Amino acid sequence: MSGHVKNMYPQLSISQAARTLLSLLLVAAIDSMNAGIACRNQQCESHIQRSSKLTRLIHMESVDLLKIYKASQGDLSELFCQMPINIVPNPNISGLDPSERMLSIYSHCKAFLPHLKRVTEQQRDLQPPSSPLLNNLTTAQYRTSGLANQIKCIYQTLFPNLPIPLEPVDGPTSIHPSQNVFQQKVYGCVVLKNFKELLSQIRHELRTIKNQMCKSRTFAYTNALF
Amino acid sequence: MNPTSKDMKGIMDKSSYRLLQLLSLAWLACRPTCSSITTYGTIIPQSPLVEIGKEFTATCVVYKAAKATAEDIYWKLKNVTVPKEQYTKINDSAVSVTITITNETANWLLCEKKGSPLNRNQVIHGILLTKGYPPEKPVNLSCMAVQSGRKISSNVTCTWQPGTRDEILKTTYTLFGSLIVSNKSGKAHRSSGYIDFGTFPSFMQLAMWVEVENKLGKVRSDILDIYAADLVKTNPPSDVNILSENNFSRTLLVSWKHPIHVTYVTLKYNIRFCTVGSGDWTEVPPNDTESYKESFRLQYLKPDMEYVVQVRCIHHMGYGYWSDWSANSTARTPEDKPTSKPDLWRVIIPSQVKSERRVQVMCKDPVESNGRIQGYSIKIQDGNWETVAVNDSDLDSRSQERKIIPLYQIPWSDKRRGLIELKAWNSVGESPQASLVIPKLTQEPPSVEWLSWFTQQGRLWVKWQPPNVTATGEPYRSEVTEYILEWVSVSDGAMDWQRERRHTRTAAIKGNLQKFNRYNISVYPMYSGWTGKPLTIAAFLEQGAPLEGPSVKVRRTGKNDAELEWMEIPLDKQRGFITNYTIFFITGGKEHSIVVSTDTYSYTVKRMASNSKYVVRVMASTVQGSTNSSDLSFNTLMYVLCVYPSAPGQIEAIVVSVSISFLFSVVLTMLCCIYKMDSIKKKIWPPVPDPSNSTIAKWSPDFTSKADTPNESALGDVSIVEVDVFDRKSLCEEDKAGLPLKKDKYLSEEHSSGIGGSSCLSSPHQSVSDSDEGGDEGQTTASTVQYSSVVASCGYKGQTPCPLPQSGSSQTPSFTRSESTQPLLDSEEHPEGPESQRYLRNPYFGRLPGGNNGDSGDLEDLNQMEMKKQGLALRRFCPLEEDFQQTTPTEEGHSPDGQPGPDPSYMPQLSGYRPQC
Repeated sequence: MSGHVKNMYPQLSISQAARTLLSLLLVAAIDSMNAGIACRNQQCESHIQRSSKLTRLIHMESVDLLKIYKASQGDLSELFCQMPINIVPNPNISGLDPSERMLSIYSHCKAFLPHLKRVTEQQRDLQPPSSPLLNNLTTAQYRTSGLANQIKCIYQTLFPNLPIPLEPVDGPTSIHPSQNVFQQKVYGCVVLKNFKELLSQIRHELRTIKNQMCKSRTFAYTNALF
Repeated sequence: MNPTSKDMKGIMDKSSYRLLQLLSLAWLACRPTCSSITTYGTIIPQSPLVEIGKEFTATCVVYKAAKATAEDIYWKLKNVTVPKEQYTKINDSAVSVTITITNETANWLLCEKKGSPLNRNQVIHGILLTKGYPPEKPVNLSCMAVQSGRKISSNVTCTWQPGTRDEILKTTYTLFGSLIVSNKSGKAHRSSGYIDFGTFPSFMQLAMWVEVENKLGKVRSDILDIYAADLVKTNPPSDVNILSENNFSRTLLVSWKHPIHVTYVTLKYNIRFCTVGSGDWTEVPPNDTESYKESFRLQYLKPDMEYVVQVRCIHHMGYGYWSDWSANSTARTPEDKPTSKPDLWRVIIPSQVKSERRVQVMCKDPVESNGRIQGYSIKIQDGNWETVAVNDSDLDSRSQERKIIPLYQIPWSDKRRGLIELKAWNSVGESPQASLVIPKLTQEPPSVEWLSWFTQQGRLWVKWQPPNVTATGEPYRSEVTEYILEWVSVSDGAMDWQRERRHTRTAAIKGNLQKFNRYNISVYPMYSGWTGKPLTIAAFLEQGAPLEGPSVKVRRTGKNDAELEWMEIPLDKQRGFITNYTIFFITGGKEHSIVVSTDTYSYTVKRMASNSKYVVRVMASTVQGSTNSSDLSFNTLMYVLCVYPSAPGQIEAIVVSVSISFLFSVVLTMLCCIYKMDSIKKKIWPPVPDPSNSTIAKWSPDFTSKADTPNESALGDVSIVEVDVFDRKSLCEEDKAGLPLKKDKYLSEEHSSGIGGSSCLSSPHQSVSDSDEGGDEGQTTASTVQYSSVVASCGYKGQTPCPLPQSGSSQTPSFTRSESTQPLLDSEEHPEGPESQRYLRNPYFGRLPGGNNGDSGDLEDLNQMEMKKQGLALRRFCPLEEDFQQTTPTEEGHSPDGQPGPDPSYMPQLSGYRPQC
């Protein structure tokens, strides 16, 4: 048990087991952040633009994900989302300059990944294996991981001399060890709601950073040439 | 010289290899002692994997048991001995060999010991060579992710081009995909494979590659570093609709829906359209549809035309792949009034009436009819506008080929000039007006200078030279405004026309021309509506061999020649221009040919063998082939029987030869006649006794005294004795009774008659018959003169001739009678000289029958009748009758009724002949 109450589904078939295994493998792959190809030297604007589009996609999918989550939780689903829980990361991007805000985006993405993972595990016990919620949660983790890496690459490109801290800026996220079903449903809804909010803020931040950084860098680069 | 580090390294490598080899050999040398199976040697390495094209070295180590040294060892590749030059002696018991591996190299490499002359070679050891190629690097790797549902599929499919060599060894292909977040791989086939990423890595960077591996190595393709959007191929736009709006006859509004949400892929679109059935697509410029939109208005379309529209999409930056085209969507633009003139034309038809022609006015729909033409308004010269409604529903703007509509056929005087005006109308309005001037026959503007044709790329082209118009003062303008090309099919009379601009000199016929069909193409220069004189030429889109050969017949056959005649192949079956005719004639297995020009329809084949069978055929040729007529057999003649001007010399030879033959036969006949004159003469003109030489003549004067007193009645006593001159037997006694039965015989045989006792007088046999049968005039002719000849002497049957007191001759000639019509000899007819006078003096010869008076009575009359019949010759024998009467009187000298016989000279024949002695 992973520290949560598990609802047993005796109807599990071999295909479901395979699906579960695939999900676990996918999560394991997401964990290995440095297993993939390295960052490429790309132009600032296109780099941030791609990340903006990815953020927009994840945001759109997070909206759908929250709707699906609410729809799949049964009665009192709206009530679950209104319960205050302090263990979920704050979606607000902090920092004064672009580098700090970029770092905050990266830290938030990284911070939400374990929460998304835990919600996926909890819902895997609560939902039937064929539930689209599980796939969407997995996709959200996959894309968020990719976004975090892109932000990291942008940060390294824009601020090559600034180190990336190993721990999140806002400190390590604490995950409550054990929760009952009610707490799990409340927790999952709050995580997804904050996740959606985070993506909304990232979209806004990236647009701002693109306008600030890419133009200023182009200007600075042009001045350096002359 | 100090060796370099590289050299030192090489030396070290070689020494270490040697050391390793020696250790191996040492191990192998002790191995047989450890093994329970006795072996004679071994090869290093065992069962190697060798690469084709590379060199391979193997070493054979001989054990003591083999009782052989390195000199006794040789290598074999299956059955072929490896040359000694490739051997390397390592020590006394080890020999290595180096061979180059090829595809043809045998699989088995054997180490053998040379045998003695008495023993066979001994195999020491063998190894199996496994040959193969190392893997080849795949090239041209490309990957794609298609849309699945509302998202992009997580499966990325890749294709590549594998190596070209045969994969002798088992080879595996693995497709790899790497993201920032993870690596993925999947098994693949030889040229394709896929990876399931779980979720499509939208907006991420990927690296894709292929690894190929076999026992000889591993190779990796170039890495495909690709942005995820470059893999995307979405579905085509959905719900493509076309909206046709009234009063907008030249536009259509196309709308569609994005196939995928914009957050996944931002798309741009491509639109194409064509008229229904044409397949000739027109694409909307890409710049017009670059934006992320869901509708577009097509412009500059044709009114009343049904269009097909398709839409496709791609990433708005051009990444990835174009989607497939959407399904066909069709719509029709609204109608508009015709915006171009109808195509007005005419055909002049010759009329039976002198100085008049018939004009067939026809037209085609306007090119821009912009709707279904419902009718035409036509006006001829100063007449009123008349309406011709068109009911044919096929005549609309949709038909690709504009149909010819016959409007009017009117008589038109040669001296008349007139203007024809025409307008077409549809449901919206009228077209502009077309006009055509038909000039007087004498005022027709000039034609083009020359006209030619050629074919190119399956089309028939016409080339012409513009008319040289210098005339002024003509009613028409001297500038050519356009040309009309008219073509008429010779086979079925179908015609069509097209218009060309004034500067055009070469044009392709746009009609649907048929191959092998003859067309008469005319070019009419048009002078502001005035129709110029046409210039016409025959042409083919494509020529072929004639459909049938000419119809051949033999007009005349001679001894050494024959005249052939054939008919021209009908124009619709010629399928091309006849270039020549070839006459083939075959005899005795040999074929001869003669080529004649295309305007030749008869030919006389000469130098033919006489009396021979010939097979003849005529081949008609075009530039594209030839066709033979059916075979025709005939025989040449052996002789020429008719006179023909073609063989005058021959005829003359025939005439001369025939003439010479005739003359020769005439001369031969004459010679025969001359040579056989006597016998012929005897046959034709038997010798007639000459009375002047007759003993009677000599004798007669001696009997003058008796003759002076002739007793006419004594004539009945004259008897004629028939004597067989050969038997010399008298019939008087032997056949007296049977004489009548033999009368016929007597008619045809010579007769002799004994006259009196001293001479034999033959009486005319005919007279005998006449007397028997009462006088049949049919058996006598007035002109017949009977002759007698002396056939025997009076010494008949041994009898002594009757002594004639006058002559005293011992032999008296006898006479045979002849019925020849030969005229009497002059000496007989006109006795001259003393003998004639002597005859005349002889009263017997001079006496006429009618001269007997008194005593003769009826007999006298009868005798007179006979005498008339017998003529003078008979009368000349009359004196003898008296003598017979005197010497041999018979009963039969009288008539049955007791009267004396009509002629005394006949009676003795009936009563027989009695010997005179």
